[in-house]
Amino acid sequence: MNTRSTLGSVFASVAVLIVGWQAGGVMLAPQPTTTTSPQTSTPKSVTSQPTGTTTQAAAPAPAVAAPAATSPADGTYTGASVSTRFGNVQVAVTLTGDRITDVTPLLLTNAGAHSVQISNRAAPIVHDEVIASQSAKVSNVGGATYTTHAYLASVQSALDQAGF
Amino acid sequence: MTPRRDPRREYQRRARRADLLAIALWASGAAAAALFLASGGAGQFTSPTAVVTSLGIVAGLIGTDFILVMLVLAARIPLIDRTIGHDRAIAVHRSLGKPALYLLLGHGVLLLTGYGMSQGFNPIAEIGPMLALPDMPLAVIGMGLMITVVVTSLVAVRRKFSYEGWHLVHLLSYFAVAFALPHQLSVGGVLSEGTVQRIYWIALYVVAFGAILTFRFIEPVVSSVRHRITVAGVTTIAPGVTSIHFSGRNLRDLGAEGGQFFIWRFWTGKTWWHSHPISLSAVPTGSTARITVRDLGAGSARISAVRPGTKVSIEGPYGLFSDSARTSPKLAIIAAGIGVTPIRALLEHAQFAPGDATILLRASRQDETYLWDEIRELAEARGAACYVMVGHRSKTGPSWMSDVDARRGVTLQTIFPDLAQSDLYLCGPTAWLDSIETEARATGIPSHQIHAERFDW
Repeated sequence: MNTRSTLGSVFASVAVLIVGWQAGGVMLAPQPTTTTSPQTSTPKSVTSQPTGTTTQAAAPAPAVAAPAATSPADGTYTGASVSTRFGNVQVAVTLTGDRITDVTPLLLTNAGAHSVQISNRAAPIVHDEVIASQSAKVSNVGGATYTTHAYLASVQSALDQAGF
Repeated sequence: MTPRRDPRREYQRRARRADLLAIALWASGAAAAALFLASGGAGQFTSPTAVVTSLGIVAGLIGTDFILVMLVLAARIPLIDRTIGHDRAIAVHRSLGKPALYLLLGHGVLLLTGYGMSQGFNPIAEIGPMLALPDMPLAVIGMGLMITVVVTSLVAVRRKFSYEGWHLVHLLSYFAVAFALPHQLSVGGVLSEGTVQRIYWIALYVVAFGAILTFRFIEPVVSSVRHRITVAGVTTIAPGVTSIHFSGRNLRDLGAEGGQFFIWRFWTGKTWWHSHPISLSAVPTGSTARITVRDLGAGSARISAVRPGTKVSIEGPYGLFSDSARTSPKLAIIAAGIGVTPIRALLEHAQFAPGDATILLRASRQDETYLWDEIRELAEARGAACYVMVGHRSKTGPSWMSDVDARRGVTLQTIFPDLAQSDLYLCGPTAWLDSIETEARATGIPSHQIHAERFDW
């Protein structure tokens, strides 16, 4: 390769990577969500849910109304229903004394036998990781990208409601 | 006569296009990595597990991109052929094979490791659940096919196969690439539905497979049907060397230049499954064309026995061993053995002023002087100097020369005093050609002035 094509390749490649990085960075930046209305301690009501939150990425949505000083009330908070191409995912998060004590799946990806299998494998793993890390920021579960992302997004929306 | 072209300007234009192709190749690899970054990838390098998984995904994306580039390079797209020539396109194609395979193997290993780490399994235990994912079994079959294709193309392994056997295995790569697509779209998060990434990726597949379909299948069929080429006659011009004459319709429309080759297929019961890349030994007229073949393999022996009237299908013309590749005003040509065939056709097309072209014909024995009479006539008619060198190769001097001439102190520069202002066209067996090329480079002429066609079949 001559100098011109080498330099051209290097610059073009770097430019393309920077564009990709920027595009990814934009998606990572906190996006104000307006859909989740604070819904306190209603135990597991599957039917009346705040709708509209269909973010796929587990982008940390900023707390809507969370005065930093007050700790969240104990109870079960239902997260948003997050749709994926394999079905909707929705969880309820139980908070007891400032801690996430349980995450209950209300809906899991269920489009076809494979999806159910994947969900059943991934859900307990994410469940344990959320409780261990006390946050929705845990690593992806191999082979269950959609389920994990949606699961964590739902957890995060429940935590946001609680002001956790 | 067409107006005289300016070879320098054309060369510069071609060099620019070649650079753009190289840039496009590397940028497409970077774009594959950028797809991952664009889907939030930068935030996915936070823990060791995530780093391993992310690298696995990036390896898969770049590896697949390389495979698609390889398909494009093997598609014989006219633009690429005119820019870098068929030989170089295939050389780049070959050089990408192993890196692509390593990236794809790395993709599998890194993801198994990453997923295993995230769940506390070992990577081997991860294989089971992985195969349970949708489209994964198909992707694993694709991987197996790809390994087969690359392994059979390794030089050492390839020698054990006939060309046809190897080619048949190579066709599996289409399936390998196609089988990999579903899992990329369904399991991978990077190319999920509704993203720009998914559109770009599918477009890449469409371009690669579209190029193969158009230029390897549709275009040759259309051209073969349109020109209706049949064998007009077969003449033996020396022991084991035959000229095959063809007749056909509107053969000038093929746009073939002297020095280019076609891939020929003779439709008889014994020969139809075997295709032969063979240079023209004369520029086609409106209704006739000619090739000259030496019986080197069983296949070429069989085609010299075809009967007049046999239907022939063609792919081509291909190659940059023609006047289009000129960069300098003068012409220096050396051909050995059956390597004279493209030279004979090249001389018909080459543009040069009387006195500006010098030809050296080389043979080991007097009965290997195929087509020399025709070349001498052409040279005389066009005012080119034609020298011949017959005799066994020198053991002490440069191995491309005859022993007698090497002893006399002949060098490349005594034969071609204007070499520095000439395009040097070389055609003959690889070892012989390598020897001249080394000597030519030692004289300091730049590589774009050297045009080599290696004749080993």
